[in-house]
Amino acid sequence: MTAVDFNTILPEFLLAAFALGALMFGAYFGKDKTAATLVWATSGLFIALALFIGFGTEGERMAFGGLFTDDPFARFAKVIILVSAACVMVMAQDYMQRRDLLRFEFPILVTLAVIGMMVMVSAGDLMTLYMGLELQSLSLYVVAAMRRDSTKSSEAGLKYFVLGALSSGLFLYGASLAYGFAGTTQFAGILSTLGGDTPVGLTIGLVFMLAALAFKVSAAPFHMWTPDVYEGSPTPITAFFATAPKVAAMALIARLVHDAFGGIPGEWTQVLAALAVVSMFLGAIAAIGQRDIKRLMAYSSIAHMGYALVGLASGTAEGVQAMLIYMAIYVTMNVGTFAFILSMERDGRPITDIQSLNMFSKKEPLKALALLVLMFSLAGVPPMLGFFGKFYVLKAAVDAGMVWLAIAGAVASVIGAFYYLRIVFFIYFGKDGEPADSNMAPVQWLMMVGVAVIMVLGIVNLFGIEPVAALAAEALVR
Amino acid sequence: MATIILLAPLIGALICGFGWRIIGERAGQIIATALVFLAAFLSWVIFLTFDGEMYRVVLLRWIESGSLGSEWAIRIDRLTAIMLVVVNSVSALVHLYSFGYMAHDDNWTEREHYRARFFAYLSFFTFAMLMLVTSDNLVQMFFGWEGVGVASYLLIGFYYKKPSANAAAIKAFVVNRVGDFGFALGIMALFFLTDSIRFDEVFAAAPALAETSIRFLWTDWNAANLIGVLLFIGAMGKSAQLGLHTWLPDAMEGPTPVSALIHAATMVTAGVFLVCRMSPVYEYAPSAMVMITVLGAATAFVAATIGLVQNDIKRVIAYSTMSQLGYMFVAAGVGVYSVAMFHLFTHAFFKAMLFLGAGSVIHATHHEQDMRNYGGLRKKIPYTFWAMMIGTLAITGVGIPLTHIGFAGFLSKDAVIESAFVGNQGAFWLLVVAAGMTSFYSWRLMFLTFYGSNRAGTVGHGHGHGHDDHHHEPHESPKVMLIPLGVLALGAMFSGMIWYSVFFGDEDKVRNWFGMDAAHHQAEEHAAAPVEGATAPAPSEGAVVSTEAAPVAGAATAVADVPAVATEEVATAEAAHTASVAPKGAIFIGPDNTVLHDAHYVPKWVKVSPFIAMVLGFALSWLFYIKNPSLPGRLAANQRPLYLFLLNKWYFDELYDWVFVRPAKWLGGFLWKRGDGAVIDGSINGVAMGLIPLLTRLAGRAQSGYVFHYAFAMVIGVVALITWLTLSGAQ
Amino acid sequence: MDALLREYFPIIVLLALAIGLGLVLLLAAAVLAVRNPDPEKVSAYECGFNAFDDARMKFDVRFYLVSILFIIFDLEVAFLFPWAVAFGEISMTAFWSMIVFLGVLTVGFAYEWKKGALEWE
Repeated sequence: MTAVDFNTILPEFLLAAFALGALMFGAYFGKDKTAATLVWATSGLFIALALFIGFGTEGERMAFGGLFTDDPFARFAKVIILVSAACVMVMAQDYMQRRDLLRFEFPILVTLAVIGMMVMVSAGDLMTLYMGLELQSLSLYVVAAMRRDSTKSSEAGLKYFVLGALSSGLFLYGASLAYGFAGTTQFAGILSTLGGDTPVGLTIGLVFMLAALAFKVSAAPFHMWTPDVYEGSPTPITAFFATAPKVAAMALIARLVHDAFGGIPGEWTQVLAALAVVSMFLGAIAAIGQRDIKRLMAYSSIAHMGYALVGLASGTAEGVQAMLIYMAIYVTMNVGTFAFILSMERDGRPITDIQSLNMFSKKEPLKALALLVLMFSLAGVPPMLGFFGKFYVLKAAVDAGMVWLAIAGAVASVIGAFYYLRIVFFIYFGKDGEPADSNMAPVQWLMMVGVAVIMVLGIVNLFGIEPVAALAAEALVR
Repeated sequence: MATIILLAPLIGALICGFGWRIIGERAGQIIATALVFLAAFLSWVIFLTFDGEMYRVVLLRWIESGSLGSEWAIRIDRLTAIMLVVVNSVSALVHLYSFGYMAHDDNWTEREHYRARFFAYLSFFTFAMLMLVTSDNLVQMFFGWEGVGVASYLLIGFYYKKPSANAAAIKAFVVNRVGDFGFALGIMALFFLTDSIRFDEVFAAAPALAETSIRFLWTDWNAANLIGVLLFIGAMGKSAQLGLHTWLPDAMEGPTPVSALIHAATMVTAGVFLVCRMSPVYEYAPSAMVMITVLGAATAFVAATIGLVQNDIKRVIAYSTMSQLGYMFVAAGVGVYSVAMFHLFTHAFFKAMLFLGAGSVIHATHHEQDMRNYGGLRKKIPYTFWAMMIGTLAITGVGIPLTHIGFAGFLSKDAVIESAFVGNQGAFWLLVVAAGMTSFYSWRLMFLTFYGSNRAGTVGHGHGHGHDDHHHEPHESPKVMLIPLGVLALGAMFSGMIWYSVFFGDEDKVRNWFGMDAAHHQAEEHAAAPVEGATAPAPSEGAVVSTEAAPVAGAATAVADVPAVATEEVATAEAAHTASVAPKGAIFIGPDNTVLHDAHYVPKWVKVSPFIAMVLGFALSWLFYIKNPSLPGRLAANQRPLYLFLLNKWYFDELYDWVFVRPAKWLGGFLWKRGDGAVIDGSINGVAMGLIPLLTRLAGRAQSGYVFHYAFAMVIGVVALITWLTLSGAQ
Repeated sequence: MDALLREYFPIIVLLALAIGLGLVLLLAAAVLAVRNPDPEKVSAYECGFNAFDDARMKFDVRFYLVSILFIIFDLEVAFLFPWAVAFGEISMTAFWSMIVFLGVLTVGFAYEWKKGALEWE
């Protein structure tokens, strides 16, 4: 291990050391009483690392002989992952504390998951990829089942674990096929060793790997775990599921298809396009029947992953850029929305029923307005930021000659707008009834209103995210 | 100054239309009227001091898109100056007149405010009309063209509580759309071929157009002819030429001042103005010119025949307007644009006066419009009677034959007819007959209205005037209505004599007046053409000044489009590229066009013929309505089919109803009920309320909660993807 | 294509033989054997005893815990063994890698000890 290697993985190393230290600290000094402190410390570390990664490093570096890559693309994804994880954690802290859910393992597990994600997006080899994937997944299985006394939570964790194991199996099978045909697991080497000829077996291996990763981003038809896990897990965990891991897995797909299989876009663009179309439509259609806002957000994220995949399916640098912008906006929107969902309660008990939002605007006009902005943004109504995310991916698809995909996306977004607007309808024109309380910690309030303001003000120039994403995409697609 | 003229009515319209709630209705009316009077005064200043040299006032840049560029610019040349005077004078007088006419109106209750709205519309119309006549490019002209269309629509439908008024407004709008479509196509064709919409550049390219052919619809056309025809279709719509004329009589549903301003003096003459403005193009489009002549003559004739039997006083004048517009088009069609403008100019005075006089009569008889219910009003409303008498003398063309002394119509109409004799013999005969009929129906109107005994209430009330069953004593109109009549009467009497020579009488004066070059091709006959007729301000470049060409007779004949002095803005790269420049002057008379010249040398009997026709018409009218009032009824009974044919306006409306309106309605109904209702709404509702919920239920059922179902779905997904990929990849 | 199929031909033969033989044996028993059941014949065999509980019984979750912990340290040994055998030739990187691995494992072990996962009651 050289110093260069070590420098390259410094953020991951720091986080791992922190996780181990925190584990010992928590176990031996005060157990769950230290949890709140740990949450804030972890969040602070995340933000600090995000700043360090975002501003402290430049250029492209390889470590461990190509196993680990540090390039603008990885850094872009890492910053989003770290910041969103930090936001979700501080949002969750109040909720979990009041419901006696806050274990000191929670921040540590999240940290481990984040390390896994960071390894994933930096992977330069199928082995690294798998290691990151498993580290992330195992941590997530555990947090999903964190509320051990709740059947639903345990069920969610178990389901996620079993299906996750299946997907891991699919991935390993695909990876071994790829290795069998290419003789290497390094991304850079897979195609070059074959010398321009693509055996069917390699394509099948690629499809298996994509299927496994589609499971991670919950793209249809590998999405089935999503609604159950979202509903069963404690809401803060759901919020976490809906944000950082999605970015990591989506970035991983981009990494895999462009770094390892960039020379044969014909083999994977149609797979991704198919996944995108099915996800967009299934997400839009199935969400209509939902009465639980967490399940609804699950389908919403399925549909959103479909749109992000549209960007990737175009197979161009522009598409990757669109995907990155889309994911950044998506994560932001979800942070704001979940900040609100976390606050929904009645008589002190958390509720997630959509009907309980009836006439919410009478009670809390400002929050209702913020929620309206968020819902419009999720639906992709033009002045909001959510529209621009959709606009970029659809434009990328059109520019890549996949007009049919863009049209499908537009149609699906029309169908999908229905359930977002229905929430708005309930808030403003619903039947009279006792609406839910919204008991917000200041930090949640800040997140929600802040995100709503971002959604409106982002129209100016998307906060300058566009050139950064373009740079990241350039680094990936050469 | 031009800017003030253009914008004053707009400001008036805005203040009056939007500000009357603040400043009061009457103040709004006064401000609007005062601003139009200001514009009218300045127009006269420009008209009387204008030296024939075109200049432009650029207000602001408008469109810059690729090679399409245009400005908001005011183009002042002789044509514009004439139109400014016509529009603003009549508009100002109509504004004033409306104070009296619109003071009380049975269509509105006491508390409803309609006057400010009326004045705002009038002022807005004036602005749009000024925009039209001062435009420097075709798109700006089209803006004004549509603006007057809107104003016309609003004013025809001013009594929006009356279904008939609404129907008339819609009819006017729709029929005008047909014409405007042609106009728009013409503009596009011009832009397509010349890559410009600026007049100067288009005119410069006109000779080239005559050499070009363009494919349109099913065959190849000569470009100049095609453009000429398309633009003329636009003019037909606006100027109610035969075929697109059906809206004009119905437009009389509007208040009478509106009829005077829009549907007699100004807007309907926009088509004539367009043809004159585009004269450099038309000079190269002989077939289009023939079409204009034929249609103009036919319109003049048909309208006159219909006018013979109409009973509504306003409709008679409306058909008379249509007929006179036909005269103008004949003049333009045979290539004497100055005569067309002359008739336009004089017609504006006497026709506005006739309408205002008719309005005065209607006002006096409490909104009775059927002439059969008039009679013997001469004594009761003497001022109106004398005004109408002057108007009638003017329109019928009373004057001393073979001299240049007479009422306005005498000079201008005779000029048209003499030109027609040179240009197109068929048109000449139609016009002479029409002149006789003009005389007949004009005198019929006079006799029925002002002579004989009062027949109020003897004939059942016609269309929609049944509010007034008991008889009112007729009364003279107030001063504000009589003063405009007086002013217009002056114009009707003297405008012809004063400006006869510059419009028609002396060819060199005409050329000088319109700012054209001296008549090169006339050099043989007029070797002594005054050199100063060709005075051209030499620009700094010292471009070729062609004054020497006048004495050098024959050579110049062939090259009328020698590079005359170019005004600065013409010297663009485009013009330089085509190596030609726009002809100088407000109108252009081609090198082979000698009609203006020849019209002065027609036989004596031709010059006298309109007068004879007029006298015959008068005599017949006197016989029918004074000497033997039972004769018309008997004649109508004898020649019943002919009478009905004329009374029903040659069945144009019925024909259009059958050919266009009903199929369109059927198609609309079909598309609405079957197309929109069943297919589009049905499928959308089906998808939104049937298919999507079904799919939602299916998706919900698939989400069973069993892990093995989920795993199964994943495996199926992988299998499907691999199958699809291998199958599609195997191609 | 034919060559490829021909390579698989012995397998098809083998498959056919296996299926055929199985069917023959089963069908022969069904067709030829004498069937004459009585309670003694169908009851449990001599040294067997009647089942007194469902075989799918619940285990205490602590068994899993112990077994999982065992697997972890089992794997640790699986890593340590080759490392120890080749100890003389390995680099410092390899040495420290294993030390880090052991350290992480130790942290986990300390955690589970402190959490009481090793106490049966």
